[in-house]
Amino acid sequence: MRIIVCLKPVPEPRQWHRLMLDPETRTLLREGIPATVNPLDKHALEAALRLREGMGGEIIILSMAPRDTIPVLKEALAMGADRAVLLSDRAFAGSDTLGTAYVLSQAVRSLGEYDVILCGNETIDGGTAQVSAQVAEFLEVPNLMHVSGIEAAREGPFQVKTRIERGYRAIEIDPPMVLSVVKEVNVPRYVTMMNILEAEDKEIRVWSSNDLDLTEPIVGLENSPTRMADLFLPEKRRKAQLLEQDAEGQARVLADRLHRLGFC
Amino acid sequence: MDFKFSDREELLRKSIREWAEKEITPRMEAMEETGEFPNELVKPMADMGINGVITPKEYGGTGMGHLARIIVLEELGRVCPAIPMGMQVHHMCTYALNTWGNEEQKKKYLPGLAKGETMGVVAVTDPSGGSDVGGMQTAAKLEGDKYIVNGRKCFSTNAHVSDTWIVIARTGEGRKGLSAFIIEQGFPGAKLGRKEDKVGLRGANTGELVFQDCEVPKENLLGEEGNGMNIAVRDIIECGRPGMASVALGILGATLAEAAKFANERTAYGNPISKLQLIQDHLASIFADRELARLATYRVGWMMDQGMRVDAESALAKSFSCEAAARAARRAIEIHGSYGIMKEYPVQRLLRDALVTIPAGGTAEIAKLVLSRAALTAET
Amino acid sequence: MSRIMETIESRIWVFVEHRQGRLVEVGLELIKKALDLRGPTGWKVAAVLLGHGISSLVEETLRYGVDEVLAADDPLLEEFCNQAYVRTLAEAAGKRRPEVLLLGATALGVDLAPRLAARLRTGLSAHCIDLELTDSGELLAVVPGWGGSVMARISCPGTRPQMATVKPGVFEMPRPGSPVGRTIHLKPVLDAKDIAYRVTAVYREEVRQSGLDTADVVVSGGWGVGTAENWGLIRELASILGGAVGATRPPVDEGWADEHQMIGTSGRTVKPKLYIGVALSGHMHHLVGIKTPELMVGINKDPKAPIFDHCDLGLVGDFKEIVPALIKAVKEISGR
Repeated sequence: MRIIVCLKPVPEPRQWHRLMLDPETRTLLREGIPATVNPLDKHALEAALRLREGMGGEIIILSMAPRDTIPVLKEALAMGADRAVLLSDRAFAGSDTLGTAYVLSQAVRSLGEYDVILCGNETIDGGTAQVSAQVAEFLEVPNLMHVSGIEAAREGPFQVKTRIERGYRAIEIDPPMVLSVVKEVNVPRYVTMMNILEAEDKEIRVWSSNDLDLTEPIVGLENSPTRMADLFLPEKRRKAQLLEQDAEGQARVLADRLHRLGFC
Repeated sequence: MDFKFSDREELLRKSIREWAEKEITPRMEAMEETGEFPNELVKPMADMGINGVITPKEYGGTGMGHLARIIVLEELGRVCPAIPMGMQVHHMCTYALNTWGNEEQKKKYLPGLAKGETMGVVAVTDPSGGSDVGGMQTAAKLEGDKYIVNGRKCFSTNAHVSDTWIVIARTGEGRKGLSAFIIEQGFPGAKLGRKEDKVGLRGANTGELVFQDCEVPKENLLGEEGNGMNIAVRDIIECGRPGMASVALGILGATLAEAAKFANERTAYGNPISKLQLIQDHLASIFADRELARLATYRVGWMMDQGMRVDAESALAKSFSCEAAARAARRAIEIHGSYGIMKEYPVQRLLRDALVTIPAGGTAEIAKLVLSRAALTAET
Repeated sequence: MSRIMETIESRIWVFVEHRQGRLVEVGLELIKKALDLRGPTGWKVAAVLLGHGISSLVEETLRYGVDEVLAADDPLLEEFCNQAYVRTLAEAAGKRRPEVLLLGATALGVDLAPRLAARLRTGLSAHCIDLELTDSGELLAVVPGWGGSVMARISCPGTRPQMATVKPGVFEMPRPGSPVGRTIHLKPVLDAKDIAYRVTAVYREEVRQSGLDTADVVVSGGWGVGTAENWGLIRELASILGGAVGATRPPVDEGWADEHQMIGTSGRTVKPKLYIGVALSGHMHHLVGIKTPELMVGINKDPKAPIFDHCDLGLVGDFKEIVPALIKAVKEISGR
């Protein structure tokens, strides 16, 4: 089985308190905050590892990120992936999800045949949850989001469980496909010292825009359909809206709000 | 001089930290209460590569080296210092075997120690004194093809949780009359004595080994007769002191985190107390202690990996880091005000843990003797 | 720059999801927002419904003030398949050219919107917490980044439609009135090949209790709960919301709660999405660790209690009346 895992390096969440917003340039200053594997991508990689344990095959890590995130790819290789491809080019910088998905999908085409592409549902920083579906669209293959269970056989369709509000869908889907996982899908394994040493010989290839066929003008800051008009810090304090009705009335307002937010 | 860690070392730090946070944290309350070392973690630690970090690959370890070992112990200690206390003594056992053992001994004992089948002990201290190694009474007499050992070893870390003991005993007169032996817990006459109830590092097992006509096959002599003092001293310098210093690094990291967190969250006079200058003085001191202890300790690991002698540097790292840990923990308690002396807050435990590191693996006074010799012969 | 076109076509589309024969609220919240936003542009607002056998849902949607409902009623749309929905919407959008397309950030919305945006080669802002429409018809979406610690305002200057998904509960619900708009039936475009995967089962799963450390919902009680018997209300409320029980120090001292349930600087750290503090004052050392909730609620009979400085919604009154009423209302609204 040939599995591609899309991975994004993100700034280490434990150090986010060091983030600062430059009020003049309206950019986020991330100096000195180390990068790590996006948490949900670890779950995606774990899912890939289990599939490979079941039926053999190859796991390729694919990531569009700056060159200095190579240590993050080493972490993924230490977890057990076979090799990694990093897509790195200044021309990619500032791409929104559409451009990113396009670049990733063109890289997938260069890698050849695959059975499944696994991603995390969303990243912990941007959190758009858009890239996996858009990759599938560019590749013209089916995709599922909110994946909480995967059963595969060597031949034939996968049985996949996806999370919806207050329940699940059981879905039969044929490869090749894109699956985007949620935390519930598994518990990622630890990286051992032995894994770290073994992974040092694994291949990391770096591709730039020259290595890819990028004909659509949707890559890079200038070509992104969405633009960031402004960046600001939210109000830190919550402003309590005090209800004034009687007990029953207040309870109903709160219950309604809880229901709309999906808590009941 | 390159002060950066390699990608491999950074990744090691991260993976040990994640493992420790998930696997050790839930056990800490029980460890603190009962004083019992969590045996169920020995195999999982071995699977992570911790037990065999300085054991060569051919004997089942990862051979990643001494600086890697320090990183591992520091990260374990950041979560629970009692654990690396146990592991560092275990490493002293593997180090002694690997450095002074013959091929049969290495093949027999190192793989089990690396794979988590058993833990190791190095027992030097007689009731007659730990600092006065040369004065020990525990004796081993060769009778036929066995040594018969009589005596007791006290304050031995991992005594009750390990099967492989390196024991120093007297085979002749004076300082050159000590020898090292590999004694298995199952040998006739090898017994476990009391379990100590420590005020800190409570989850590390500390106890007594008792030898009553204990029969040790003569193949289990480690190194040559008469080399026991040398083995004990070198094991302490090259493995034990950096190991204790690493435990202190873990305590310092946890202390800094607790102090900063509390200072940022606790408000007084309308602002977080981190805005008050005297609190900032405490924080600065804790930070400086942690950074300097790290530099002193990492250096020892690096030098060991280069094959350099580390006598003075090792004594310095140990004495400085353990003192620094106690100093910083005290300051952290003061930052917490009255909360600092309440058992429900962790900082009081960090002080107790730090205090225990000071005499463990050699008293501060002995370390100072080493440092004064270095001072007198240093290049200036 | 887009010109404002005088046309009978709706320019703002709101995708309205439905489940088990009921309209999902976020679609209605977005309808109201669209109607509120459109002011200077004068744009018409359409609700878009896809499904099978949805005529009564269409009727109901018309009561929320939209100018029209665009409805695609097709057996192949009955069970949601993203590619089938994408194809249907892309064809309609390609023909009718809306300026703005809004969807709720539900499981379905999050599944549908990105693939649709890619099909249309347009921009999509995700999980928005606010929307603005400028006089010239530019949609500005406010999206949280970095776990909510930073906010970005996103525009989509060059491509159309400008798409956004919005979290449920961000905007207000409209009240239904008399229907004013018309219905347009979208021509079916699908065939069996558009069903890219086979849904073999759909099942509801009851909400599970979780441990305090990982619970999405935490209900905490304080000194004001008063007795061990009253503490039962805290447990019941937590249980019905599938959450965990937390406490401040006094309930632990009194024995109503366990040491392990204490939340605060010396107790547990929790990261719930919903936190409800009942009859507790709300001092810093309890609340200080709780930064993650989307919704923080306080229930206390003293309107000056510090908890109300730290929450989004405050219920002022006797918890012995409010909590039972809340439990009852939750049971009703979730159909249990």
